[in-house]
Amino acid sequence: MGVMPPRDAHPLSGEMLQGTLDLLILQTLVPGPAHGHTIAHNIEHRSDDVLQVEHGSLYPALHRLESRGWIASFWGTSENNRKARYYRISADGRKQLAEHTTRWDRLVGAVNRVLRPAEE
Amino acid sequence: MDWLRFFRRKRWDEERARELDTYIEQETADNLARGMSPADAAQAARRRLGNPTIIREEIYRMNTIGWLETLWHDLRYGARVLRKSPGFTAVALLSLALGIGATTAIFSVVYGVLISPYPYAKPGEIWSPSIRDLKHPKQGRGFYHPREYLQLRELPAFSAVMATSPGAQLLTGDRSPENFQSVYVTANAFDFLGVAPVLGRTIMASDVRSDGSAEHVIVLTWQAWQRLFDGRPDALGKILTLGDEPCTVIGVMPARFGWWTSEGGWLPLPMTTRDDRNAAPIVRLKPGVSKEVALDQLKAFHQQLAQATPADFPKDGFTTILDNYLDISVASGQMQSSLRLLFGAVAFLLLIACANVANLQMARATARAHEIALRMSIGAGRGRLLRQLLTESLLLSVAGGVLGILFAIGITRVIVVLMPAFYVPNEARIEVNGYVLAFSVAVSVLTGILFGLMPAIRASRPDLVDALKDGGRVSGTGGAGGRTRNALVIVEIALSVILLIGASLTVRGFVKLQSLDLGFQADRVLMVGLQLPPKRYATYEQRINFTQNLISSLENIPGAQSVAIGNGGLPFGGLQSPFSIDGHDSAESRRITVGLISAGYSRTLGIPLRAGRELTPQEVAHGDHYALINETAAKLWPAGESPIGRRIKLDFLERTDLGALPPPNASASVTVIGIIGDTRNSGLRNPVSPAAYVPYTLFAPPDRLVAIRTQGEPMLLLNAVRQRVQSIDKDLPVIRPNTLDSVLGLQSVQPRFNMALFTFFGGLGLFLAAFGIYSVLSYTVARRTHEIGVRMALGAQKEHVLKLMLSMGGRLVAAGLVTGLIAGLAIARYLKSEIFDVPETDPLAIAGVVSILAVAAFIACILPARRAASLDPLTALRRD
Repeated sequence: MGVMPPRDAHPLSGEMLQGTLDLLILQTLVPGPAHGHTIAHNIEHRSDDVLQVEHGSLYPALHRLESRGWIASFWGTSENNRKARYYRISADGRKQLAEHTTRWDRLVGAVNRVLRPAEE
Repeated sequence: MDWLRFFRRKRWDEERARELDTYIEQETADNLARGMSPADAAQAARRRLGNPTIIREEIYRMNTIGWLETLWHDLRYGARVLRKSPGFTAVALLSLALGIGATTAIFSVVYGVLISPYPYAKPGEIWSPSIRDLKHPKQGRGFYHPREYLQLRELPAFSAVMATSPGAQLLTGDRSPENFQSVYVTANAFDFLGVAPVLGRTIMASDVRSDGSAEHVIVLTWQAWQRLFDGRPDALGKILTLGDEPCTVIGVMPARFGWWTSEGGWLPLPMTTRDDRNAAPIVRLKPGVSKEVALDQLKAFHQQLAQATPADFPKDGFTTILDNYLDISVASGQMQSSLRLLFGAVAFLLLIACANVANLQMARATARAHEIALRMSIGAGRGRLLRQLLTESLLLSVAGGVLGILFAIGITRVIVVLMPAFYVPNEARIEVNGYVLAFSVAVSVLTGILFGLMPAIRASRPDLVDALKDGGRVSGTGGAGGRTRNALVIVEIALSVILLIGASLTVRGFVKLQSLDLGFQADRVLMVGLQLPPKRYATYEQRINFTQNLISSLENIPGAQSVAIGNGGLPFGGLQSPFSIDGHDSAESRRITVGLISAGYSRTLGIPLRAGRELTPQEVAHGDHYALINETAAKLWPAGESPIGRRIKLDFLERTDLGALPPPNASASVTVIGIIGDTRNSGLRNPVSPAAYVPYTLFAPPDRLVAIRTQGEPMLLLNAVRQRVQSIDKDLPVIRPNTLDSVLGLQSVQPRFNMALFTFFGGLGLFLAAFGIYSVLSYTVARRTHEIGVRMALGAQKEHVLKLMLSMGGRLVAAGLVTGLIAGLAIARYLKSEIFDVPETDPLAIAGVVSILAVAAFIACILPARRAASLDPLTALRRD
């Protein structure tokens, strides 16, 4: 589950990827509520199609985030007038997002320092 | 976390499905907008989403607690399996219900009587001091004179000391006079015991005045409150006339509080050294003080007392005892050991039930081998299967446990009725309470594991290929499985033999007791007690006159054949007096039972005269110093020397401190004029004590016991007796009217209790074991149908088949019987319990066990054997 790795790469640790997907979903919801379809396309689009999410795997992640209380859901009407389940980020979710973003930045920085020591 | 989602999974799942549908619609619409054909658009959308079922399953799993889910599945599966084989289920449930029920019932008695009999605060920390005669450890005293008590209270090891002096007083007033249990307690008694009243207050320090005399107040038992005041709260402040003294009711205790009485009341014990009311103390130790330290202090204290007043201590030295209150007071002696044995017996019964169910499980597991092999071959792990099978067993045992509890409630009621009240503390409550329920739940679960584990392990290890090849046919696993099942049956039989041995010994003991030669004739004798209020009957003459008038008045009642006074010897007990025989030095502090009798004593009880002559009414009236002795007492004289005409000194006849009054010419020396037959004067199960019977005019205690031999039913004369008593003294009640037969009956209550329960549990064990034999043989017949068919086709006669099956059952029974007899006799010898009045090798008892078991086993064998013999070979062969 989670972010689809490039086809020829070995899958990364599920836990790390799972955390990453959570982070991406939360970030997507910051501007406002969205339903599953929008979220999936949003993530794909904003990562310039590098992060290929298998759209189905999004739903368990949404469920998990909701049961943790980081996002909340409600039934609404979509742009083309269909009933759709919308998600919005909760106060707790925003806090988690900030925290996890910082942690992610530190991780990326650390990995980069290891991979490109010359640039420092 | 939203716990509700665990219970609303279905709705959740529907929502998810709708949400995924929305995605497909949305994505399809997008694809259409991108210019795809409708079919392609939908397909691409589905591809993009992935498998919706897997997604939903994943979310569904997130909403479950794994093991709980599995358990629920297993339970449902187990219930289905059990429902599908109702015969097996019914038999297993019955076995378990009987086993668990019996265990639960006995545990509820053990809990109520031995573990938690008292409502008192920390009853396990109460100790009771006493003094025992060094030479005769059964004799001694636990009562202390107030003078001694006041000193005992000061020992540094004790944090609290209280004392109790039981007694009865005459209650007069508006209602007819009655004898009222009046227990005197020290002022701290209720604090010590830690129980609050339901009404009013308890006795307090201020109820004993500074000079040591006590206020006239009384705290009532619940029963007395109900009986005298119908439980009205305005009982407080009412006056009761007790022993001619007005006594104010100050409080009522709860129903379960029964300190030394559960029908009378408690009064403050006067604390003066002039008062000669002896009291039994109990103590609590200071924190950190060990029993040994306390005992040492108590010993030193007793030594000191014995030096100051040697007369109050045994002549030949004494030992000091400090007993835990629970040990001495809880269901004394016999009841305790009988409950322990019964608990062991029901544990055996439970084991038999377990073996039975394990056996059935294993037989069934063989039949289910195909199902299990199939489940394993499509991927069920062994652990998973074990869990499934164990869950099934637990389901069975817990269901059996529920039935068992119902059964236990029933048996417990019967046990309470059968139980000898005087062996059980007043306060004990025997009921199926929370602790008992917790116990039986624990037993049920353990039982489930016990009988389920082995069959489950065995079943989850099948030879897959064989089992599947067999095609579900009842397979012939005669080898290991058959051996285990046979072993289980042998164990069952052995256990039931042990139970039967116990039962047969109690039966033999009871029968022996019933056919015991009492030495007197117990039928048609009415007995009543009388208690003269010491204040109104303050002189020797008053007491003797009353008694004389009473005897002559009672003798005139139509239907009364003879009347006797007997303080002691009616039929048991009497004063235990030190004695010495004239011309013989008695160095030992032996005691003789003294009975105060009227001339009609031997005639009324039907005791034969062996030598010499009886007392005449004139001698009794004059208070002549003559005595009758029993045969055992006659042996106190050296062989060849006739006691008749010899003198014996009975020390108690000179004592004045027992509440009894001596005549003007008091003397302890009496001359033996006759020897009467021995009677069982110290209980039916105890050896005869030496006894001397002297005229009742030699000693005038305030209480008298009267026996009247009647022509017909003794109780019919009770009203006449009451009228005669009250025509002499209108305020005198007749106490404890009873027949001699029922007094003796009380003696056999405990043996009857043992017999009833051991026999009942022995019978249950036998039933279960017989059922074990039956089920194993039936199963064998079913399994060997084909083989039997072949044998018969080849010419075997019905008799041969019958013999084959019977000999198979017979071997099991014989093995079980021998094992059980050896083990049972070893256990009986090891226990050496007083429950069993006969030697454990009693041939009649053993013969009884063997024959009963043989009959039961034969019935259990013959049914399946006949089924085997009546097989039609053609049908039998065609069945495969």
